[in-house]
Amino acid sequence: MNKHLIKFVLNGEPREILVEPNELLMNVVRERESLTGTKYGCGIGECGACAVHVDGQPLLSCIVLAADVDGREVVTVEGIGSYGQLDPVQEAFLDEGGVQCGYCTPGMVVMSRALLNENPNPTELEVRHYMRGSLCRCTGYSGIVRAVLSAAEKESSGKAVPVAS
Amino acid sequence: MSVQTPQHRYVGERLVRVEDPRLLRGRGQYVDDIDLPGMAHAAFVRSPFPHARINGIDVEAALALDGVFGIFTGKDLNHLAGPLIAGRNDYGGATLGSDLLETKRQLLAADKARHVGDAVAVVVARDRYLAEDACELVHVDWEPLPAVVDANEALSDDSPRVDEALASNNIVHKDFETGDVQAAMDSAPHVFRKRFHHGRCHPAPLEPRGIIADWTTGADRGVTVWISHQMAHLMRTYLSELLQMPEGRLRVIVPDVGGGFGLKAHLFTEDVVIPLVSRALDRPVKWIEDRYENLAASNHAREVFCDIEAAADDDGRLLALRMKFLGDVGAYSPVPYTPWIDVGMAAKSMLGSYDIDNVGYTTDAVLTNKCPTGAYRGVGQTVGQCARESIVDDVARKLDIDPFELRLRNCIGDEPRVNPIGPHHYDGGSYAECLRKARDVLGYDELRERQLELREQGRYIGIGICNFMEHGAWGSKTYRAHGADRPFIDLVRLTVEPGGSVVVATGLTPNGQGHETTFAQLAADALGADLEQVRVVQADTERTPFSMGTRGSRSGVVGSGAILRAAEDLREKMAQIAAHQLEAAVEDIEFGGGKASVRGAPSQALTFREIAQIAYFAPEKQPEDIGEPALVSTRSYDPDPTYGNGTVVAVVEVDVKTGIVKTERIVFVEDCGVVLNPMIVDGQIAGGVAQGIGQSLLEQLAYDVDGQLLSGTLKDFLYPTAGDVPSVEIAHVVTPSPATTSGMKGVAESGIIATPAAVVNAVADALSPFSVEVDHTPITPNDVRALLRAAQASSQAATT
Ligand code: FES
Ligand code: FES
Repeated sequence: MNKHLIKFVLNGEPREILVEPNELLMNVVRERESLTGTKYGCGIGECGACAVHVDGQPLLSCIVLAADVDGREVVTVEGIGSYGQLDPVQEAFLDEGGVQCGYCTPGMVVMSRALLNENPNPTELEVRHYMRGSLCRCTGYSGIVRAVLSAAEKESSGKAVPVAS
Repeated sequence: MSVQTPQHRYVGERLVRVEDPRLLRGRGQYVDDIDLPGMAHAAFVRSPFPHARINGIDVEAALALDGVFGIFTGKDLNHLAGPLIAGRNDYGGATLGSDLLETKRQLLAADKARHVGDAVAVVVARDRYLAEDACELVHVDWEPLPAVVDANEALSDDSPRVDEALASNNIVHKDFETGDVQAAMDSAPHVFRKRFHHGRCHPAPLEPRGIIADWTTGADRGVTVWISHQMAHLMRTYLSELLQMPEGRLRVIVPDVGGGFGLKAHLFTEDVVIPLVSRALDRPVKWIEDRYENLAASNHAREVFCDIEAAADDDGRLLALRMKFLGDVGAYSPVPYTPWIDVGMAAKSMLGSYDIDNVGYTTDAVLTNKCPTGAYRGVGQTVGQCARESIVDDVARKLDIDPFELRLRNCIGDEPRVNPIGPHHYDGGSYAECLRKARDVLGYDELRERQLELREQGRYIGIGICNFMEHGAWGSKTYRAHGADRPFIDLVRLTVEPGGSVVVATGLTPNGQGHETTFAQLAADALGADLEQVRVVQADTERTPFSMGTRGSRSGVVGSGAILRAAEDLREKMAQIAAHQLEAAVEDIEFGGGKASVRGAPSQALTFREIAQIAYFAPEKQPEDIGEPALVSTRSYDPDPTYGNGTVVAVVEVDVKTGIVKTERIVFVEDCGVVLNPMIVDGQIAGGVAQGIGQSLLEQLAYDVDGQLLSGTLKDFLYPTAGDVPSVEIAHVVTPSPATTSGMKGVAESGIIATPAAVVNAVADALSPFSVEVDHTPITPNDVRALLRAAQASSQAATT
């Protein structure tokens, strides 16, 4: 099989790598780039643990070929917020009890960020609907939904601004 | 000498979790995130058949692939370790069924596969893609055999045997009676009967199981294992015995764990296979379970048939309760617990907070050609509550008594008392108060009115109640009471370092419970330290003292007890040093804010750092009678069992056209004694509630009549999503437990223990105008439609 040379931007840094035609974006991010925040939960697009942003859209990296991100911009959970300053979404997860084991958390952060970028003032129902593809086994979603709503409120009232790399 | 106990500053506070910033930034480290130099990757070849003889395995073609390092079958590995036998050498597992017929499970099935997903070979290769490609090329010569799929049929004499070495498929039978159940039934004005089938479910943590083993040979011979698990030290003990490697040369490290729920409190064959292949290939080997393997071959849980009989008088006073629990436990005994746990805990929890004199049960656990069943959060207790609460509602409906009222009439008092089927004590609670409080929070009377109004419009809402107990804080006494004389030891080491830092080292092995936060809260309060001074180190056998692990809602209670004891030792030493230095009496030294000060003279104080500097480096400033000045103490705590209690009410709406059930509200009133961190406790409850909703309405591990698994993906299994669960309305009642030093009770399982019964009852209540009987979980839309169609057909038949 012929390898492809792909060029893309990963968390703000330009990257150029050779990938197999069947190589998945999840494996490139986790294994080749050592960005292990992106998680495996099913490998077939059913759990949302592997979500990343590609050109601002949330995609499931376990069902995206790495070759398809050629020329595009990828942001993983590591590209959202920083230790000095968590993104308002992350801050809200912290305050509202949105994390337990933390395994769904990167995917949840990626999806919530995407939701608020698209719709800064979602209703609870809209949050629950948008997050349907992201599974959490620990929290019962209560803390997560509260967190997204509270981040939305803070951002739209100007009390917080998104922190992306 | 009496040293002051500091005031609480952190316990009971809603503190944010210290572990969260790293998890939120994707900087957690789970086992699959660990990469070692030269590491190879394993994948397993598994049986596509529920029951099949293995006539041969041809690995030639697979082995020829470039980058495949080795392929191992049962013939290569089974003589090196094993078999795994539940109920034997199981340290703190439990010979809960001591009359158990033993199943001997080989590391890899060599003669016969006994369920879909049973592993028969392992391929180790340069990467996982390649390992999986090679699995496809391993040719197994299968001879399919008739499978045992139905537990009821498995009991008959002419059923095929799942394990030919055993005399019966029924591998454990136990029974119990108190009072005279039959006499009470015979003389009672009303006797109610039903059969309830609790469906197969699965802990299904979002992170599947996974293990890395690195076996080194030569002078530094030893094995290091990273594993996603709930019991680091016990895993080391199991592996030490099976691999014949002294514990001193075995290190088990549990990194971040993406949820456990009991699944990761077992010993699995893969946990032994991976170290062995690491030795054979002389390189580290990683295996991460994929989701299909997780659903097909990691332990399932609690498939139980319950035959229930209840006797009542005209006022709804319950006179007798009898249940028969028949567990469909799959192909092998889970190690260490034995397959009795689900039926046994169902039986032990069938009485709950009800005051009934005549109670009896029988329990049987029957092998079938399905995935083995093991521990899942709320082990068996979910089944017991479902069985009891559903017949209690039948009684209420048929005698036309309000279900809250009926429960209040049959409720025990709040004081500690003997549990008639215990055999240990209830530590007291708020059994009736929780019922009343739940009714208030719900706005019960208005809701009943609304139910009637909606019915007029062809809409069907239902209200279902579960008054529950949660058996927590498992330790020696609990196990002894359940018939397993196994001591439990859980050590916590507390150190004040020379610079004044406090380090809590514990082998309790968290998987999402937030121990880094709660144990720091406990230690800070117990020492009078600042929270920021405290660091919690856990779950690495080389850095922490022994523990039996995190399961059975025990870590909070056990950890707090041991921390309190160790802190008392440290305060005593520190008070001696401070008193000597400040020229005060030891009794007058108080702790708080990271300092020891003289009562009434707060400016006369030493910081922890100043005290520690004296203890470590300045013998001349130490009092003469200090003895060993070391500021370290390792203590253990083995609690009496606790019983949390509470009332859950579910409100559902059933769409009678589609059969879809929507959970509109969950009111959860909970008494778990002293609350350590309300945010964490509420999170544990909400998570358990979602699992409970999943278990009662969605999740299914279906097998067809031939024993083929039909639920191999999450979409087939149906995990609840954010759209399937409401926000939980939680209220607390606090009855401190007299049984534990902290007054806490176990709490982590209540959500899942109690919610399914409430949901089942709510669906039955919603459908009550149609006179249908809801008698199983999960209640899927198809089931609802089938019930309604059957009811319609029989009412049509009756009118024609
Ligand atoms: S791992 Fe990609 S959706 Fe589950
Ligand atoms: S926090 Fe564990 S899966 Fe969501």
